[in-house]
Amino acid sequence: MFKPLLTGLLAAGLAYSSIAQTTFPVNGVYDERPGLYAFTNATIIVDPQTTLQNATLLVRNGRVEAVGTAVNVPASAVVTDLKGKRIYPALIDIDSDYGMPEITRTGGGGGGRGAGGAPQYESNKKGAYYWNQAIQPENEASILFKANPTKADELRKLGFGVVLTHAHDGIARGTGSLVTLADDRENSIVLKPTVTAHYSFSKGTSGQQYPNSMMGVVALLRQAMYDADWYKRAGSKEQANMSLDALNRTRSLPAIFEANDKLGIVRADKIGDEFGIQYIIRSSGDEYQRLDEVKATGASLIVPLNFPQPYDVEDSWDADNVSLAELKHWEMAPMNAGRVAAANIPFALTTAGLRNKADFWANLRKAIENGLSEQKALEALTTIPAKLIHVEDMVGTLQKGQVANFLITSGNLFSADNVIFENWMQGKQYIVANKNAADLRGSWNLTVGSQSNLKLNITGKTPDKPEYQILVDTVKVTPKVAVAGDIISIQVQLDKRRPGTTRLTGYRTGTTIKGDGESPDGKTITWSAVRAGDVPSSTSATSSTAPIASATATTPASNTAATLLYPFVGMGNLKKPQAETVLIRNATVWTNEKDGILANTDVLVEGGKISKIGKSLTAPAGVKVVDGTGKHLTNGIIDEHSHIALLSINEGGQSSSAEVRMSDVINPDDINIYRQLAGGVTTSQLLHGSANAIGGQSAIVKLKWGEPADGMLIKGADGFIKFALGENVKQANYPNPNVLTRFPQSRMGVEQVYMDHFTRAKEYAKGWTDYNKLGAKEKATAIAPRRDIELDALAEILAKKRFITCHSYVQSEINMLLKVADSLGFKVNTFTHILEGYKLADKMAKHGVGGSSFADWWAYKMEVHDAIPYNAALMHHQGVTVSINSDDAEMARRLNQEAAKTVEYGGVPEEDAWKMVTLNPAKLLHLDSKLGSIRAGKDADLVLWNAHPLSIYARPEITMIEGATYFSLKDEDAKRDAVQAERARIIQKMLTAKAGGASTVRPNFRRARMWHCEDVEGMFAEEEGK
Amino acid sequence: MKKLLIPILTLVTLTSYGQNPAPAKPQTKAIALTGGTVHVGTGQVIPNGIVLFSNGVITNVVDGTTVRLNLNDVEVIDVSGKHVYPGLISPVSTVGLQETGAVRATVDMREIGILNPNIRSLIAYNTDSEIIPTIRNNGVLFSQAVPQGGTISGSSSVMMSDGWNWEDAALKKDDGIWLNWPTYLARDFNFEDFTTVVRKNERRAAAIDALRATFADAKAYAALSNPTPLNLKLESMRGLFTGKQNLYIRADYGKDIMEAVTFAKSVGVPKVVIVGGEEAHRVVTFLKENNVPVILSELHRLPSREDEDVDLPYRMPGILQKAGVLVGLSYADGWWRTRNLPFLAGTAAGFGVTDREEALKMVTSNTAKILGIDNLVGTLEKGKHATLFVSAGDALDMRTNVVEQVFIQGRKVNLDDRHKRLYKTYKDKYENK
Repeated sequence: MFKPLLTGLLAAGLAYSSIAQTTFPVNGVYDERPGLYAFTNATIIVDPQTTLQNATLLVRNGRVEAVGTAVNVPASAVVTDLKGKRIYPALIDIDSDYGMPEITRTGGGGGGRGAGGAPQYESNKKGAYYWNQAIQPENEASILFKANPTKADELRKLGFGVVLTHAHDGIARGTGSLVTLADDRENSIVLKPTVTAHYSFSKGTSGQQYPNSMMGVVALLRQAMYDADWYKRAGSKEQANMSLDALNRTRSLPAIFEANDKLGIVRADKIGDEFGIQYIIRSSGDEYQRLDEVKATGASLIVPLNFPQPYDVEDSWDADNVSLAELKHWEMAPMNAGRVAAANIPFALTTAGLRNKADFWANLRKAIENGLSEQKALEALTTIPAKLIHVEDMVGTLQKGQVANFLITSGNLFSADNVIFENWMQGKQYIVANKNAADLRGSWNLTVGSQSNLKLNITGKTPDKPEYQILVDTVKVTPKVAVAGDIISIQVQLDKRRPGTTRLTGYRTGTTIKGDGESPDGKTITWSAVRAGDVPSSTSATSSTAPIASATATTPASNTAATLLYPFVGMGNLKKPQAETVLIRNATVWTNEKDGILANTDVLVEGGKISKIGKSLTAPAGVKVVDGTGKHLTNGIIDEHSHIALLSINEGGQSSSAEVRMSDVINPDDINIYRQLAGGVTTSQLLHGSANAIGGQSAIVKLKWGEPADGMLIKGADGFIKFALGENVKQANYPNPNVLTRFPQSRMGVEQVYMDHFTRAKEYAKGWTDYNKLGAKEKATAIAPRRDIELDALAEILAKKRFITCHSYVQSEINMLLKVADSLGFKVNTFTHILEGYKLADKMAKHGVGGSSFADWWAYKMEVHDAIPYNAALMHHQGVTVSINSDDAEMARRLNQEAAKTVEYGGVPEEDAWKMVTLNPAKLLHLDSKLGSIRAGKDADLVLWNAHPLSIYARPEITMIEGATYFSLKDEDAKRDAVQAERARIIQKMLTAKAGGASTVRPNFRRARMWHCEDVEGMFAEEEGK
Repeated sequence: MKKLLIPILTLVTLTSYGQNPAPAKPQTKAIALTGGTVHVGTGQVIPNGIVLFSNGVITNVVDGTTVRLNLNDVEVIDVSGKHVYPGLISPVSTVGLQETGAVRATVDMREIGILNPNIRSLIAYNTDSEIIPTIRNNGVLFSQAVPQGGTISGSSSVMMSDGWNWEDAALKKDDGIWLNWPTYLARDFNFEDFTTVVRKNERRAAAIDALRATFADAKAYAALSNPTPLNLKLESMRGLFTGKQNLYIRADYGKDIMEAVTFAKSVGVPKVVIVGGEEAHRVVTFLKENNVPVILSELHRLPSREDEDVDLPYRMPGILQKAGVLVGLSYADGWWRTRNLPFLAGTAAGFGVTDREEALKMVTSNTAKILGIDNLVGTLEKGKHATLFVSAGDALDMRTNVVEQVFIQGRKVNLDDRHKRLYKTYKDKYENK
């Protein structure tokens, strides 16, 4: 405790500012010094491309005055001879929260509950700010910044000189400042107050309800950007808004977006594209898993070095709780930076994301062992970050004129035995380790009194962290040793049988140490030690860190087996499936066309399309032929109501969230995609939940396992939006009804939500129509309406460009929405669930609305009390287009069986029943021109079943999307074996790492939540049902 | 006047305002079902069988092609082309204990407290539940009413799906006590990223110690013939130690299953049933060696883990059956879904169980054996209850499961239910337009 305190006091006492602070009065006598330093005979790494041998660095007043091999050293300079040592530019970290206020999070996740558990719907931030407190671009790092000597010291020791710091709080987080890590007044530490603008997907400390989903976050940021644009054009005349003002002021700065994962990188970039901003994106270390898509964004990255710890896999059963994806990520995370570099993606490295900042060097070296070049590493820590944030004229190299931030090291910065001696900042010295300290490592012949059978072995990875051992003959004892300059003192118990400590103090001259001391019985004795040579390698491996080093050293060789999977999940493929030309022969073909069910028929698939249907088709040469004898060939199942492959479901923070898009939260790595392919599903409408009357915009995808989100989306599909009625919308089954304040709380209010929103949307649409009608001249003076992305979506409905899928149960509210739609001139496309559809099937048929229902669900809540399994049949017989959907990751795997129930309940003909999971949902999604039947020219989304597809005994043998085979039953065994083999390989490696002393984490297993449409984040516990 | 009144009354019972049909009248005349395919429930199928029953009990089951029965004074029902099955048994059920899941007032299946062996589901069983006729009409004629919650939840009873009250409906009262095994892994919901994290349960050792003490006390107590003071909890556990009652232990994880069984044996409980068994495939040898049957949770579930075979839950019954473990199937989580129980057997047949009759056993005779009611029900054999149904086709497949006749102890059951009533009402509305 005493030592650091003393150092601190001395530093404060000796402190002076190399950059004059003329505005500050001095209590005492001015102490301004010349600040001229010359470092000679050094190997100077001026920048990653330029290394000078035997060179001189001249520093004046905190700036580099000269660097080179022929620098004249002025007589007034303080000269330091650095023969044998190196000088590097100090490192830069551009994702730091150094000196920022502590962020204290309120509550859990996106709960959005204020004090007392009541939902907080409005901003708690007082003042002329944005309506949502997660948007706080007005926060300025330069104002928030307070130097923190302890944290500065921690980073200095790692070799960092400057950091870009910002408050990591909110979606729009405000500006970042470039600061040095010097212990000085903030006035001189802050090199550049306003450098960058920062964004993220996390609402941070905001307790406000909205947004409580990822797609809500995206929508909020987009709307804020549009609002800022409006504010610039006209809004500032209407209101003062410091947040919007700040968004506009910071528009020209480099913008940094913190993404949570590889998917977030693509998501952030998409937002940037909309507003002409190329974000620099802080990645999370898993981008190697989808590097092509990351590269395609064109974004530069800020890459962390946060590698997972190995799992405790010693118990083979418990180890099953660790997924192959987690095992592989453990193995491959250290390869991330190298792969990013190899892909030519510009990137900086950061200490952010490390559990412990002290792991920085170990992890960086691991990254280098795993394919990152030292040159790229140095660039990523110096010149690239400087360039990314446009401060390359100040920091990043040791060129003339740069801020004199540099490191003095014992050797190659990246070698394991390197020591950073000093970290100079703005021309000021910070000693990390004594560069003049002798390297005592070696084997010394020790004589104590008359005892000469002793050896003192000094080892250690670096000279500044020696480890001591004394050998008494062959018995090892560990002494306590203190070295202060050349004075060395030792305490040791030399004889284990006779307790008592021998204390020795001596003085080193070259390779000899001499002195005297006291034996345990108080007698004065003389002692000496003479260096005999290096420590034999067999005895040097005493350090506990050594085995780790050897374990990691073996990593690169075995990493040749580390392969990617598409997607990065155990059941992923080594290669993405490709479309093939396939002839399926002699199957029973369910055409869903007027031909009906054709026996002994062939189907030819070419170019991703169905090309021919007929008997005895001839196969073009080299075509894959599948024998369909005794089997049934059908279309892929289309699930009209699904919540798989999504990162969140409900944006329930407001009664309308028409602005949110499910396409922003597609999770192409969801294992349920593969499980459903195994159940014959090829297309799904990914819907928003039912937490509010007007939900969000659907994403209609094909289950192309391995493709990115964009590759799954069906191009050119009509836009859909989820609406909802009933108990969820009025929050009828919420656990604590006393705190509910969100309008509406009754079915009466739901009608008014629609009337209100559509009335506003009409006015909004008219505003734009009027504006767009203006001539160029008039437009120049007129003010365009404020773009509102929520009303955009509603206006699209009115313009019949977006279509409603409405969650519904009881007939009264269904009737209500039909009347609202009629009165406002739009149509409801589909009622989903629609469990009382049978009560007003005639009205539905008249309106032209479809019904997408469960086969037999009921009794789980009050509004399904009258649900009957004959519903689908009754609606069908009234001429309603009926589909059977899942709303459930499990049930979607056997939608064929659910369709079969309409045969049992209500006697729907089998062909019609089958259409309820294929052609009918295709119709409801306006995709029946491409999907839903087996007809030449339609997409080859096909399933080959082992039996009658409506039978309980049926299972898909092949599931194909656009001619590419995504599931093949016969390959399942091979896939399982591959998963097992890959698991075993990595587990063996992990066991080695653990045996080598690496700390492990317990194999917790994590499973993504299975979503239903009523799940609101932070609202329900997991067991809350349908 | 009288003549006029009767048709009006009849009409009323047919409208959607009607309640559940009244329980059936006792069988007064012997009945023979002839010509149907008889699925005995033992694995045997008689293509042209005759099932003869009187006074509620099966008196003969024969092959009609080779055996001629004297059917004088017998009501002969020709079921040619149809299939006759023993009533399906739905174990691990909350049918009758809850009506509308989200409406607390209609839910009577969970008591507070940790050790509740004395809690009896029997008396909460609502014979007027509108769920019951809907499951009966798919062939599920028995359900085991099981209390939930706590560590020891209470005792279950096996109920028939027809009866004026729970006393009438009870087939076997207090058949066993339910224990939720303290799990090796506990589930935690993470509000930060909305995932479920499963981690080692740090509190389980203490929970198991408490259980061990309770069972030791109960066993000692059971040795007393006249205990004072009377302890209702320990009193209710007496049957466990004599084999009169089953100990049903809910356990899924392989280690939990082994530990639970070992625990039960060590505390002197002879009859143990593992319920859930999501990882039973890992401990088949153990289960076989210890002769422990398993009632699997619904097969229509997702695999437990990302890397698990996509069809593992479907294949589970086959894996156990082939290893010689006695398996029953259940629809534990969905009371209203229980009508799909036959389709779980269908799934089992489609995914590895030797054949459909073996799969049928998993919802009939196997379950009867496990529950200790195989002397009464579970097969179509002489001396067993005439609790059976006739389906137009294969009852394990939804495509063909059309239940046309149901007999419970020989009583002809009215097949009306809420769904059919509403169906008829609205069908009429559209047809009469």
